[in-house]
Amino acid sequence: MGSNNIVKQELISTRNVTFERSGQALLKDINLSIPSGMITMLLGHNGAGKTLLMQVLHGLLQPSRGEIRSIGRTGQKMVFQKPVMLRRTASQYFDFVCPNCPPDRKQNWFHKAGLMGRTATPARLLSGGEQQKLSLIAALATHPDLLFLDEPCANLDFEAIDFVESELLTARDAGMTIIMSCHSKHQAEKLADYIILMRRGRVAEYAEKEQFFSSPNSDAGKEYLSYN
Amino acid sequence: MSFFEPFNIALQLLFSFDAELYDVIFLSLQVSSTAVITALLLGIPLGAVLAMKQFFGRSAVLVLSKTMLGMPPVVIGLLVYVLISRSGPLGFLDILYTPQAMMLAQFILILPLSIALSHQIFETLHSELNLFFLSLGLGAFKRIFTLLNEARYELVTIAMVCFGRAISEIGAVILVGGNIKYLTRVMTSSIALETSKGNIAFALALGIVLMLIALLINLVSHMLSQTVLKEATNG
Repeated sequence: MGSNNIVKQELISTRNVTFERSGQALLKDINLSIPSGMITMLLGHNGAGKTLLMQVLHGLLQPSRGEIRSIGRTGQKMVFQKPVMLRRTASQYFDFVCPNCPPDRKQNWFHKAGLMGRTATPARLLSGGEQQKLSLIAALATHPDLLFLDEPCANLDFEAIDFVESELLTARDAGMTIIMSCHSKHQAEKLADYIILMRRGRVAEYAEKEQFFSSPNSDAGKEYLSYN
Repeated sequence: MSFFEPFNIALQLLFSFDAELYDVIFLSLQVSSTAVITALLLGIPLGAVLAMKQFFGRSAVLVLSKTMLGMPPVVIGLLVYVLISRSGPLGFLDILYTPQAMMLAQFILILPLSIALSHQIFETLHSELNLFFLSLGLGAFKRIFTLLNEARYELVTIAMVCFGRAISEIGAVILVGGNIKYLTRVMTSSIALETSKGNIAFALALGIVLMLIALLINLVSHMLSQTVLKEATNG
């Protein structure tokens, strides 16, 4: 197992966090220290526990055992893999997530996301990619300290992926801490500062990006990188 | 008398705004609307709580409400009769053979329906939206308000279904209402009585109104379900 003790200025740390459902441990002994103002990327195969770990770190699910410590975390948001859309227009959805966003900034977000012509469209009638962008810009507009993104580019075309990646880097540079999962090694190399490789509910490796991609410490890391 | 003659007379009664006919129609609407509104006011919040909260006795309430769904209206009428008859525990209310008794019977008839249907709707919505709401850190009031807003189409459909069940019911209202002219005679009980008396045209006129109400209910429900389906397939 790789180093689980990366410490910059940490925002969240976990100690022996285990999450069980129906007697089965879905997350096992997670020990992490998530640095502030960085993009930490969760990698791993389907069912490895990436989404679950984000939900536990976010506080949406309570761990069965172990401890999660947050330091100076005041605002956090999560963009789900399948965006949750309400029965209201795209504009009203944005207002629901970010109620205090000034109209000019809101308009700017819609413009940047290429959704200007879709503000009055019911949010549920937007395409999957548009819903993904809408939920992302609404979350970004709230300026959370910590943003969880569960495969935010899953439904997006190349142009939209460029937009998302550029916004995430801008947000990171402005001090936002981002924890996201993805299945693209290319995207992880491009965006991540740190990599957490999950395998069967455990952290198989936690390393700086450069180290992970050049010389992974764990067998799981080597195996993961061996796939195209 | 030809086959079509009762239909002609029925239409004449309807378009001439026959006082007795419309008295029966308005009383039916009044009794069923009151029963439906009160049942929804209690049933929707109860269904929502059952869907979102775990508490002791929750399963028992759910099983009971689902069992009550299959209970014959005439049995409910009988139970209400026993409750409100002079020697019953609610006899002091003195409402036997009054519209209030019919409202109570219809209320008991449709309360389980409103609970069961609301529970189903809110359970689905809750599983879809709960993590999203938690993620946004919404307070209880805003969560409830948003859930009600999200369920608005389904709630109207529930109201329509409950109203349809209430207004078309005969067994319970005839037992506790007594089918008294100008007092407790509603459409269904009147149809039964007038048919037995051979006044087919009057019964047919009421039958037409009931059919129109059923048509309207189904039309609204269909339009709402189409809206929901369209959202689901595009979303």
